[in-house]
Amino acid sequence: MDFELNPEEKAFQKEVREFLDRECNEHVVAETESMQGEGPYSKELIRKMGAAGLLAPRWPVEYGGRGLGFVAETIKVEEINSHQAPFPLDGVEIGNALLVCGTEEQKQRFLPGIARGEIEFALGYTEPDAGSDVASVQLHAEDSGDHFVLNGQKIYNTEAHFSDYHWLLTRTDSSEGKKHKGLTMLMVDLTSPGITIRPLVTMAGLRTNEVFYEDVKVPKENMVGEKNGGWKVIMSALYGGMGGGSSGASIKLLRQLADYLLKERPDILKANAWIPDALAEIYIRFRVNDLLGMKASSMSDLGLSTPYDGPLSHLFGAETRRDFFRTAMQILGPYGQLAEGSKHTPLRGVFLREYLDTPRWTIVHGSSEIQRLVIATRGLGLPRK
Amino acid sequence: MDVRLSEEQEILRKSARDFLAEKCPKTLVREMEKDERGYPPGLWQEVAGLGWTGIVFPEEYGGSGMSFLDMAVLLEEMGRACLPGPFFSTVVLGGLTILEAGSQAQKEQYLPQIAGGKAIFTLALTEASGRYEAASVKTAARADKDGYILNGTKLFVPDGHVADYFICVARTDEKSQGEDGLSVFIVDARSPGLSHTVLKTIARDKQCEVVFKNVKVPRENLVGEVNRGWPVIRKTLEMAAIAKCCEMVGGMQAVLDMTVPYVKERVQFDVPIGVFQAIQHHCVNMLMDVEGARVIAYEAAWRLSQGLPYAAESAIAKAWVSDAYQRVVALGTQAHGGVSIIEDHDMPLYYRRAKAAELAFGDGRFHRRTVARELGFKVA
Repeated sequence: MDFELNPEEKAFQKEVREFLDRECNEHVVAETESMQGEGPYSKELIRKMGAAGLLAPRWPVEYGGRGLGFVAETIKVEEINSHQAPFPLDGVEIGNALLVCGTEEQKQRFLPGIARGEIEFALGYTEPDAGSDVASVQLHAEDSGDHFVLNGQKIYNTEAHFSDYHWLLTRTDSSEGKKHKGLTMLMVDLTSPGITIRPLVTMAGLRTNEVFYEDVKVPKENMVGEKNGGWKVIMSALYGGMGGGSSGASIKLLRQLADYLLKERPDILKANAWIPDALAEIYIRFRVNDLLGMKASSMSDLGLSTPYDGPLSHLFGAETRRDFFRTAMQILGPYGQLAEGSKHTPLRGVFLREYLDTPRWTIVHGSSEIQRLVIATRGLGLPRK
Repeated sequence: MDVRLSEEQEILRKSARDFLAEKCPKTLVREMEKDERGYPPGLWQEVAGLGWTGIVFPEEYGGSGMSFLDMAVLLEEMGRACLPGPFFSTVVLGGLTILEAGSQAQKEQYLPQIAGGKAIFTLALTEASGRYEAASVKTAARADKDGYILNGTKLFVPDGHVADYFICVARTDEKSQGEDGLSVFIVDARSPGLSHTVLKTIARDKQCEVVFKNVKVPRENLVGEVNRGWPVIRKTLEMAAIAKCCEMVGGMQAVLDMTVPYVKERVQFDVPIGVFQAIQHHCVNMLMDVEGARVIAYEAAWRLSQGLPYAAESAIAKAWVSDAYQRVVALGTQAHGGVSIIEDHDMPLYYRRAKAAELAFGDGRFHRRTVARELGFKVA
């Protein structure tokens, strides 16, 4: 048993941390806080991270990675979050799937570019009638010899407006009984004619998108895995091993809130004797979350991950985060409702923004209910019917 | 980062589980809840014979020189099996205190007895307030020419009815308050003036009221320095909290391990109830608590074994695991339904022990105050 990072991981952590201390400037942070997706400063930082070899630590060296593991991946995400740097998550996740399911030509074509921060991908799974039930996607891909012709709609594709490619789950067989067996995964150049991207804005002010496809041509060499084998690609991306989350950024905010109360609002503390206990409880949950995340990552690195380690870490982290911002808003009382730019707003309105954004974390990448379903059936072997 | 047990620890775990499955069935656990002594002396001797009582003590004191983490593996299995007996009192509360703070002579005299299963120790700390805090210690130790004379009443002393020795915390400076002026003594249970009453408890363990009435303690039985006893006991409590967490993890795992197969088999509405998402969510929430409790408890045990600071981790672990165990027994009971609240089901054994374990060495709220202090808050 060993709860420390190994020397290689420690060195990587130091490298990423020092890099972001140096390079993640206030313009980047402003873009992150705007929730509008990557702007020019974010793009520049991602390219620099790519050039420094920090974006895809888990991939083999020949594809632009470091040959490290899921633990290094978790370290990277932790540092990105703590620095409020942009998060090229989807590209790396998609790369993970390409490593398993892509052809050698596809790996060569995409992986080094993603690792250098030059190619960005947007996830394209969800549709208006395919949310938790991903396999019911309807966006139709018609086989036309050397290419497919696509028609349909995706929704909540948050990275679509600043990415280069769409990682698109399509339907190639609509016949009955082919639900999971009629899906095909395609990589679509987002500059292709016939694609329309329209913004949707969440209550937190986060920009996401709906994406419309109208007779969009996609060459067959952009198909990942086999035709009608898209479900397998998704499963390998989701369950081929999964790193865990981390709470460094949230712990930083928790400490900021504690310091703010101690220094600037002792009156709130005095009137609410429950606050230290409540924040201690949340802090403890974040510590547990970090260990569960590191456990998921390290077990994946050892090739020993259970079907539940990854989802459990995701679920625990999302719900802890939600409860933290709920608690923070309760602590701030009437001041919590004040937005950035108003008179009397505490801590630049960060808790209000995060509070409004928390429902997203228990919905995206598998809602808490879906995570529990996966853990119950795949992890604990409970019956489906 | 590697959360796995070593190969040796896996072997230790398996042998402990096999031994306890054979020698400590639930019929015995229930029988011992009604027994006056509370454990079978034969089983206690077998446990000692396996080397468990000596596991953390150096070889020179008759132990096997293994680590706290190795003992954590045993504690988890004991928690799983609900093993009755004075292991925790003797080895964790007594033995580790002497190992950490005792003089050379004390170590040589007492540790081999503990390692060999020849002497039972326990900690007499808590008093009427029921709190694990220095300020609540009123028991007085007055110096006289040969040593000290102790007067006071201790409460919730585990295994006080069978202890051969008490690690007793008393105030040597009558003008002192709080953490200053306390001293730690090894008190022979045969000393005149000592009496005990066994309390009837939720876990049906043997916690006692122990009265010290003009009990004479020789000077050489002082552990550490006079008036400087609290740091010794604080360390004991931090270690005990971690050890208790490891024991609780075993109980939690046992509850999960009986609940999951049950919901796969129990049929209602013509299907196994495990089909229902309400039940699935209960089971996942239990798993989440078991997994979380395990990593946080073992991280603390690992730090202790590595010689790293562990006070904060001890508080974090005890706060979390105490509450997590409560949630696990509540959900386990809920998933089982009526059958599991019947006295002769195994669930009540864990349900009752979960509460006792939560209360031992400070509950969640108590330990969250330590964590809150670390965050900068001024809490009493």
